[in-house]
Amino acid sequence: MSSEIKLIREDGRRLDGRLPDELRPIKIEVGVLKRADGSCYFELGKNKVIAAVYGPRELHPRHAQDARRAVVRFRYNMAPFSVEERRRPGPDRRSVEISKVSREALEPVIITEYYPRAAIDIFVEVLESDAGTRTAGINAASVALADAGIPMKGLVSAVAVGKIDGQIVLDLTSEEDQHGEMDMPVAMVTRTNTITLLQMDGRVTMEEFEKALDLAVAGCRRIYELQRKALIEKYSESRTEEIP
Amino acid sequence: MSEVLDEIRKDYLFNLVRKGRRIDGRAFKDFRELRVKTNVISKAEGSAWVELGQTEVLVGVKLQPGEPYPDTPDKGVMITNAELVPLASPTFEPGPPDENGIELARVVDRGIRESGAIDLEKLCIEEGEKVWIIFIDVHVLNHDGNLMDASALGAIASLMTAKIPCERYGLGDDEPLPVRDSPVSVTAVDIAGEILIDPNLYEESAASCRLTVISNADGSISAMQKGGIGGLSPEKTKDAVKMCVESAKEIRDKVLRGLKPT
Amino acid sequence: MYKIVVPGDFLSTDIRRAGEGTYVENGKVYALRYGILDDKDEIRVVPLSGRYIPKRGDVVIGRVEDIMYPYWVFDIASPYKGLLHVSEFPAKVEYGTMDRFLRIDDLAIVKVVNVDPMMRVELKLVEEFRPPLHGGRLIEVPHTKIPRIIGRNGSMIKILKEEGRCFIFVAKNGRIWIRGNERNVDLVAEIIMKIAEKAHTSGLTDRVTQYLRAARGGKNVVRNKAH
Repeated sequence: MSSEIKLIREDGRRLDGRLPDELRPIKIEVGVLKRADGSCYFELGKNKVIAAVYGPRELHPRHAQDARRAVVRFRYNMAPFSVEERRRPGPDRRSVEISKVSREALEPVIITEYYPRAAIDIFVEVLESDAGTRTAGINAASVALADAGIPMKGLVSAVAVGKIDGQIVLDLTSEEDQHGEMDMPVAMVTRTNTITLLQMDGRVTMEEFEKALDLAVAGCRRIYELQRKALIEKYSESRTEEIP
Repeated sequence: MSEVLDEIRKDYLFNLVRKGRRIDGRAFKDFRELRVKTNVISKAEGSAWVELGQTEVLVGVKLQPGEPYPDTPDKGVMITNAELVPLASPTFEPGPPDENGIELARVVDRGIRESGAIDLEKLCIEEGEKVWIIFIDVHVLNHDGNLMDASALGAIASLMTAKIPCERYGLGDDEPLPVRDSPVSVTAVDIAGEILIDPNLYEESAASCRLTVISNADGSISAMQKGGIGGLSPEKTKDAVKMCVESAKEIRDKVLRGLKPT
Repeated sequence: MYKIVVPGDFLSTDIRRAGEGTYVENGKVYALRYGILDDKDEIRVVPLSGRYIPKRGDVVIGRVEDIMYPYWVFDIASPYKGLLHVSEFPAKVEYGTMDRFLRIDDLAIVKVVNVDPMMRVELKLVEEFRPPLHGGRLIEVPHTKIPRIIGRNGSMIKILKEEGRCFIFVAKNGRIWIRGNERNVDLVAEIIMKIAEKAHTSGLTDRVTQYLRAARGGKNVVRNKAH
């Protein structure tokens, strides 16, 4: 899958002007949905996702309950208008897989044992997509979980790395993903230095993979700082209105 | 793909692993006994019956002419599906594929697709009109762990031995399917901080996390997938990936070398 | 001043002081929750959000959701239901007559006497309050705001009761029962909802006192906008 399009310019920058190890602009807002126990709006370049957490709450049907811990459920869903060509509403095979791996990326930090028989529901809606929606969704969900007061060992941060024009780069755009040679979404718990999501498709050597993983880890650390900052800012004194 | 395992058994496995041993006596980097029989279904263009220890998977490949995707008018189409039929495990239920079946099919598909093993351009019959559609169907017969590797191996073995049924559709003589690489999937799990290759069902259930790596004849990697509700450090991830790629070489030499349509 | 922490934040190496809302790993104390750090004696993280999880000894306000002999099943504003056994009722309750004593949707002040590891919650009645609760108004706020509504050493609730001229019962699960004349109840309910919204700001008690006095002074009559 070699590209006909040049994705890295003469000056070493990418088509959108970024350096190989640069993230797209990120915007995070905490507590954006009133009805949810926790929520987060997350922008990564042109990606716009929103995550909501409900729970711990009663789980029906009863046979789905786990007597020892809470059941974590994750639903990744793309809005029909989020992509170039209208998407048929409802889950497809891709979103089922993304929901599974995203849940497995977040569950390692959640202390599910605190809530036997209950459910913790995480919903991610992709409002606009430009490659990297699953990582944006995990970032948003992680903040939303914290916002919902769920006990967690740490925040989960995620980013994709890839290979374009033979170079390993951070945070692919849709154009780079389409014409690139590899895409590798990674999620990690910065606090414990644990990778909780790793997927890859493309074709790379072992050396390239190792370099890509290191770059992803560095990217996750930067995103972690932004997630933390957004959570702390939600309750900063300056943003609070006076009574009454 | 894990099943509920009681804590006592989990403890036993952990203790065993801490002593450097596995429940069935293998070394950490060893596969279970592996047998691949090809051309087992005469109605299919390619097929393989894989036995990996007690795990058994049957993969069938069918080809038929059809329409190409609009964005790749000159390329054949590959569709992979996996069925976790109730006969294979007490935990499998009838009905449409659940997330485990979907993940299995998608990872098998990705390994083959991304390696470029199939030269899809050679499967164009008439640009924009007619191309060969390859259906890879994974049928799990007995689930004793590591369905991923058994299914991926069955898929590539079926493809390597598949013929394009040109005659049946009046398109000339049958030809071998153009296969130019041999991606092999190897799955590792983390138990008690150790990396174990090819987990059986018990190991899979006890493991905190699973990593599947699909690598090619030249040692390059074409797909990866982490599963399970645990994680690995970046360093350990790299070690696991290396082990998987090493292991893939052995498997390739042992069972894929020399496979071709009869 | 308060300090907000997020899950995974490093808090201390003094693991003997690790308290609620924290966890210890490899000799270090980390935040387990998103909340306010309390580092006075114990190291605790006081969550700013999250559902109410019943604990033994909590006094809560429950609503009868179902009757399944020999239990009244209470919704206690939690993922878990509370069960009140007929023998806890101060009268002989025969099979089939339970709804003569407590009906669906009745409210009661109950105490959590036991929570088993599977989170089955046993309740008993609180003697001073004969169920069901009559009259008054029930409001619900996030249970994490309750400490602020009570205030340090009960300072806030004291002001609310005295200046608001109402009977107020504040339960652990975020439900608050207010009884008094209509206008006073409106005012107190409104101010409690406001406190709940701003529970993390400082200097609240003074502002609440001023507000209540101003409202009572008649210049600034507050209409009941809420609910």
